[in-house]
Amino acid sequence: MVEIRWHSRAGQGAVTGAKGLGSVVATTGKEVQAYALYGSAKRGAAMNAFNRIDDKPITNHETKMSPDYVFVIDPALAFSDDITKNDKPDTKYIITTHLPKEELIAQIPELQDKKDRVYVVDCIQISLDTIGRSMPNTPVLGAFMKVSGMYDLDFFLENMKKVLSKFPQKIIDANMEAITRAYNEVK
Amino acid sequence: MSKGVLATDKRGVRELGAEKKVGWDEVPQGVVLNSFDDNVDNLSHLRPEERPYSDFNSFTATVASWRVIKPVYNRDICIDCQNCWVWCPDTSIISRDKQMIGIDYDHCKGCGVCVEVCPTNPKSLLMFTEAVDNEEALSGWPEKKKKEKK
Amino acid sequence: MAKKFELNEVEVWDGNYAASQALRQAQVDVVAAYPITPSTPIVENYGAYQANGFVDGEFVMVESEHGAMSGCVGAAAAGGRVATATSSQGFALMTEVLYQASGMRMPIVLTVVNRALASPLNVRGDHSDMYLGRDSGWIQLDAFNSQEAYDLTLCAFKIAEHLDVRLPTMVHQDGFTTSHKAQNVRPLQDEVAYKFVGDYKPVDDMLDFTRPVTHGAQTEEDWHFEHKAKQHKALMDSPKVIDEVFKEFKELTGREYKRVESYMMDDAEVAMVILGSSVETAVLAAKELREKEGIKVGIIAPRNFRPFPFDLIRDELDRENLKAVVCMDKSAPGGAMGALFNEVAGALTSTKARPMVTNYIYGLGGRDFSIEEAQRIMKEQKAHADAGHITTQIQQFSGVRGPKLGFYETRRGK
Repeated sequence: MVEIRWHSRAGQGAVTGAKGLGSVVATTGKEVQAYALYGSAKRGAAMNAFNRIDDKPITNHETKMSPDYVFVIDPALAFSDDITKNDKPDTKYIITTHLPKEELIAQIPELQDKKDRVYVVDCIQISLDTIGRSMPNTPVLGAFMKVSGMYDLDFFLENMKKVLSKFPQKIIDANMEAITRAYNEVK
Repeated sequence: MSKGVLATDKRGVRELGAEKKVGWDEVPQGVVLNSFDDNVDNLSHLRPEERPYSDFNSFTATVASWRVIKPVYNRDICIDCQNCWVWCPDTSIISRDKQMIGIDYDHCKGCGVCVEVCPTNPKSLLMFTEAVDNEEALSGWPEKKKKEKK
Repeated sequence: MAKKFELNEVEVWDGNYAASQALRQAQVDVVAAYPITPSTPIVENYGAYQANGFVDGEFVMVESEHGAMSGCVGAAAAGGRVATATSSQGFALMTEVLYQASGMRMPIVLTVVNRALASPLNVRGDHSDMYLGRDSGWIQLDAFNSQEAYDLTLCAFKIAEHLDVRLPTMVHQDGFTTSHKAQNVRPLQDEVAYKFVGDYKPVDDMLDFTRPVTHGAQTEEDWHFEHKAKQHKALMDSPKVIDEVFKEFKELTGREYKRVESYMMDDAEVAMVILGSSVETAVLAAKELREKEGIKVGIIAPRNFRPFPFDLIRDELDRENLKAVVCMDKSAPGGAMGALFNEVAGALTSTKARPMVTNYIYGLGGRDFSIEEAQRIMKEQKAHADAGHITTQIQQFSGVRGPKLGFYETRRGK
């Protein structure tokens, strides 16, 4: 079982991102869950989304999880959210930030003993450059592919195209570029 | 007056509420009441007395006993304007080919609306107590009233 | 003719999407709906299918949930296949018409995404709306995940419209936990799903002009009781058809449903009776507890909340090895024991084994139900079993902050 917790703001596409990831993973025969905790939250409110991935059907419906990966797709949430909550000794962090990795970690006491498990990528800037607006949900998946080695980039891109098929071609292309950039830029 | 129309087989054949009280196993599913015993293909072309009304249609029930006073109809004065037919709340004015032919006393409740709306002088419909015989009522029908001069 | 919707063998759908797809595949004639969180996407998706040519039927926008169910009753009386969706306050506003629909024997399918009832206002899932419907004369089926929300919605049409049943049917799923959680769902292709559901068979339809009928007639003390008795009989007889439909569904898909799902009950010493998505979590918790601590826990989950499977529940509970049973109610009980407790305790009174039974109120307003907490409660049942009497108060609260809250002491064997 692989468990992922997203830290996001309502409106940044964490739910869509989590469902997109789930859809891609499900095409490989795995079982998935993608859900969120947001309720009646307004745009901009801090929220969590979650993924579970396993080889057998997933029947655990408790919301709480001990994540294997934590995605922080809003830069400020790395400071204000409890991003290490319920973590494990090997939990990996993918954090959106414009700061160099060392500088970011220096400012977050909880990450001091986890330096080698922290990865940074500027999903906000990448999405601004490619998609044209701040939409860090798909880029973080590119970074995740690199960090986890779950799938080849090309395989992931192909399947993600299908998930996004309801959007205009221009948007799909921009997302593909964003994912690729994040894959290459994550450190 | 055509007796055939007013006295059909099914009109007012039972007191309201006198239908057979069947058990839960026999009541119709879903409080559905059928208007007719059989299927009817050309309903709009059938006159009431030709329709196979079921025991669950008010046509077959009589409420004559509810009435204290009754309208009596005078054919000799009526101009067949159909006003009473339009206004009667219980469809108890019976008319054929735009000609008024009588009152359905099984469903008339004696409200007097027909008398109220009758435009003739004297009125072609007047209210009498139930005990008064219709022939007797007709024999004492009032004369035409003269307009009062101002 | 509606367009075919391309579906993969495995889709990743949340419960709302799954339910909306089932409504689409059943080719409903009329959906009259007023959207409310968390069931909004069912109505939204259905509207999109209709607008994009995937549905031939009508979509009626109304001014309230009362209007929605009234529209459904009208359309069903006219002779159409009818469905809608709602939650919580919307369900509450529908309640008057729910009773009309069942009394008039209208086989409407209502997909309910369970949500707490205000006040306090809350959009998240508990079972207060589901419980509100329990005396409304509807068949109530309970889905524990998205796949089941899809499957049971298809089954619901077949059950509701069966000529021996003709009763409206609700398919419940948990707000957010199921409705907004995307999971692997294996849908049927459109033609297969429609063939399973079958063509609608109208009964006493008002659009049959050769046979005019009055629907929903007034009856007073001279007729009302007989009609309600007949309606109750139909509900009590519906399990035969429900079982048949589940059997047919299993033959088609391999997925098996039972009016009461039970897990690891054969050798169970303690059991948890529970509803909704928590069932799957509880099963996981029980398996773990068996492995780690050797406590023989079983789980009983009424799939069919109404008609309540009194006989099957009794069969599950009437085991010599079973000592303690806990009933989990995810609804504020309003000055009584939880409704599930009362139903189960009622079934227990005529068993030979007469296990001890206690009640937990849990998960109100979407409060998380964890494996850890499930196991704590299961271990508590084991303590009752070992002591030979209930060692706690009979009704307790799980997962609420503040001083311990509980009511009533046992008078048995202490």
